[in-house]
Amino acid sequence: RRGLGVAAGPPSTRQLREAEEAAPVFQYAGKAARRKDRVFVWGFTYSGALGVPSFVRPDAGWKKPRRIQPTPYRLETEEKISSAACGYGFTLLASNTRDITKVWGMGLNKDSQLGFQRSRRDQTKGYEYVLEPSPIPLPLEKPQQTRVLQVSCGRAHSLVLTDSEGVFTMGNNSYGQCGRKVVEDEIYSGSHLIHQLREFDSRVVQVVCGQDHSLFRTKKGTVYACGWGADGQTGLGHYNITSVPTKLHGDIAGVNIIQVSSNGDCCLAVSDEGDVFGWGNSEYLQLASVTETTQVNVPRHLPFKIGKIKEAACGGTGNVVLTEEGNVFVWGYGILGKGPNLIETAVPEMIPPSLFGWSDFSPDIRVAHVRCGLSQFAALTNRGELFVWGKNLRGCLGTGRMEDQYFPWRVTVPGEVVDVACGVDHMVSMVKSF
Amino acid sequence: PVLADHPLVRGPRFRKLKIGAGHRLDVKASGVFVLGIGHGNKLLTDLYNCHLTKVYTVGGLFGKATDDFSDTGNLVEKTTFDHITREKLERILAVIQGTNHKALLMYSNIDMKTQEAYELAVKGLIRPMGKSPPIITAVRCLQFALPEFQLEIHCLHETQQYLRKMVHEIGLELKSSAVCTQVRRIRDGVFTVDDALPRTQWNLQSIQEAIRNCQLRVETELEKTL
Repeated sequence: RRGLGVAAGPPSTRQLREAEEAAPVFQYAGKAARRKDRVFVWGFTYSGALGVPSFVRPDAGWKKPRRIQPTPYRLETEEKISSAACGYGFTLLASNTRDITKVWGMGLNKDSQLGFQRSRRDQTKGYEYVLEPSPIPLPLEKPQQTRVLQVSCGRAHSLVLTDSEGVFTMGNNSYGQCGRKVVEDEIYSGSHLIHQLREFDSRVVQVVCGQDHSLFRTKKGTVYACGWGADGQTGLGHYNITSVPTKLHGDIAGVNIIQVSSNGDCCLAVSDEGDVFGWGNSEYLQLASVTETTQVNVPRHLPFKIGKIKEAACGGTGNVVLTEEGNVFVWGYGILGKGPNLIETAVPEMIPPSLFGWSDFSPDIRVAHVRCGLSQFAALTNRGELFVWGKNLRGCLGTGRMEDQYFPWRVTVPGEVVDVACGVDHMVSMVKSF
Repeated sequence: PVLADHPLVRGPRFRKLKIGAGHRLDVKASGVFVLGIGHGNKLLTDLYNCHLTKVYTVGGLFGKATDDFSDTGNLVEKTTFDHITREKLERILAVIQGTNHKALLMYSNIDMKTQEAYELAVKGLIRPMGKSPPIITAVRCLQFALPEFQLEIHCLHETQQYLRKMVHEIGLELKSSAVCTQVRRIRDGVFTVDDALPRTQWNLQSIQEAIRNCQLRVETELEKTL
């Protein structure tokens, strides 16, 4: 082509084009590439509830123990996690699989709320802190056919809902919250006992744990409760302990309930017609719209004129509901999400949709789900964005800052957030990658 | 008509003109470019301090990656792009908007704990009023025809090279690669493409008319912000 003594010079357009066409093409993702399901955790680590042992016990010399994980951190799991629940210092993850291990737990285990975790040092004793997601052995009759639908965690007890074998309960039972008779001076630590509950009028479709009580919602729309009732949170008309799941009456008798929620000592239920019912603790004006008493032990209808309600979530001192139009209403006490001036209200106040990303530029953003922690709120939009607000206890909001958040703030998660579970000082989210 | 007024006697009307430029525009980019003449230069600094958003249409091409992120650079890599759909692109754009919205709130130097911060956030008026890294306030996909696509980007404090880099990063997020083919500014604060003068109208009459049309709008905008 060119002579031996001639310099190269800049390549001509034709040479450039030929070089470009001859370059190899790389493929990073094929046409059938699937979106992967991931789990992200953040919050207080020393209880082991995040499931990352290197935060508590560093496994390399240069690593330092991390007390708080302020931003979402990916948790590697073996199976696809379909349901997660956060309790007070512990977490349960459940998968929809037919394999033998369906539920994993991590965090505090002082009351055997994660079942019996056999210690490797002493085969007779169990672990009191579980730092890694460890399988929970459930006494299933057909372990290779039953599927776990949902898990829920309270202060020191947990509930596991299966599709054909009822509800399994484990953990502290000093108030009968596990649905079995209270045994005096029972030692819960290192206990092998997992109780199974089957007697309901129809199949149980949702289990919810309050602080020391449990609620069960059946397919027919009835609600059962057991556990501590001193604030009336069992809704059975008295303030005593109930150790057997009993049906609730009051304003929800005969009403088809489609969702129940509880986190502290107050409970909310949503019917299929969009009405919301509440019972339990009302010291923070949660039920002040119907009654002046601070404890309500019978479910009462809350006459709010805010539209048909789709979902409700109860926090420790504040409540939040989501209407059919996609608006979010909050009431109660504490940081409610409307700036530092709104501390308490008995009547629901709407949070402006512009705080969730709605604007003239993107008018089809709607809030799809609302969740509550003890003093935090979380909202998921239809675009898969997660907004949190409330008290930032030990970094549980996941914003990266340690200050309390007075209005909804985005959490940057690398993926589309499908569901989130809020606990007292940590949160777990299930995310689909891009 | 006096002989003394004739231009050949008097000389040219304007001997020297002080012209200042508004926000910078690249060599490879096109679009609205604001210039200030004479006393208008003072208004230019005021407009800069208003921190108004600029709107660009950015055209991109999937399948290639170059070293300077535009299609005239040296080729670095070629990738497949048939797995990309409009839905995936819009998801990535939503995430970009989300993180930039967070940056908007953080760089505006307002204490998040006050009631006025909450009220400004509700109205959407929180904006960084000082120096800040480039922030994108809104992105939208206008056209999508593999391998080409076109985005409309509203941004603050950016450079055109940053927009090209963003196109490259969108390509990386979608597990492919992208280069930027076209950057065109369609709005700079109050000035849109309709007010801008094309090459054929670069004469005294059109310039004077354009200045008269925009004067009122510039004054109202400055009063509103300052």
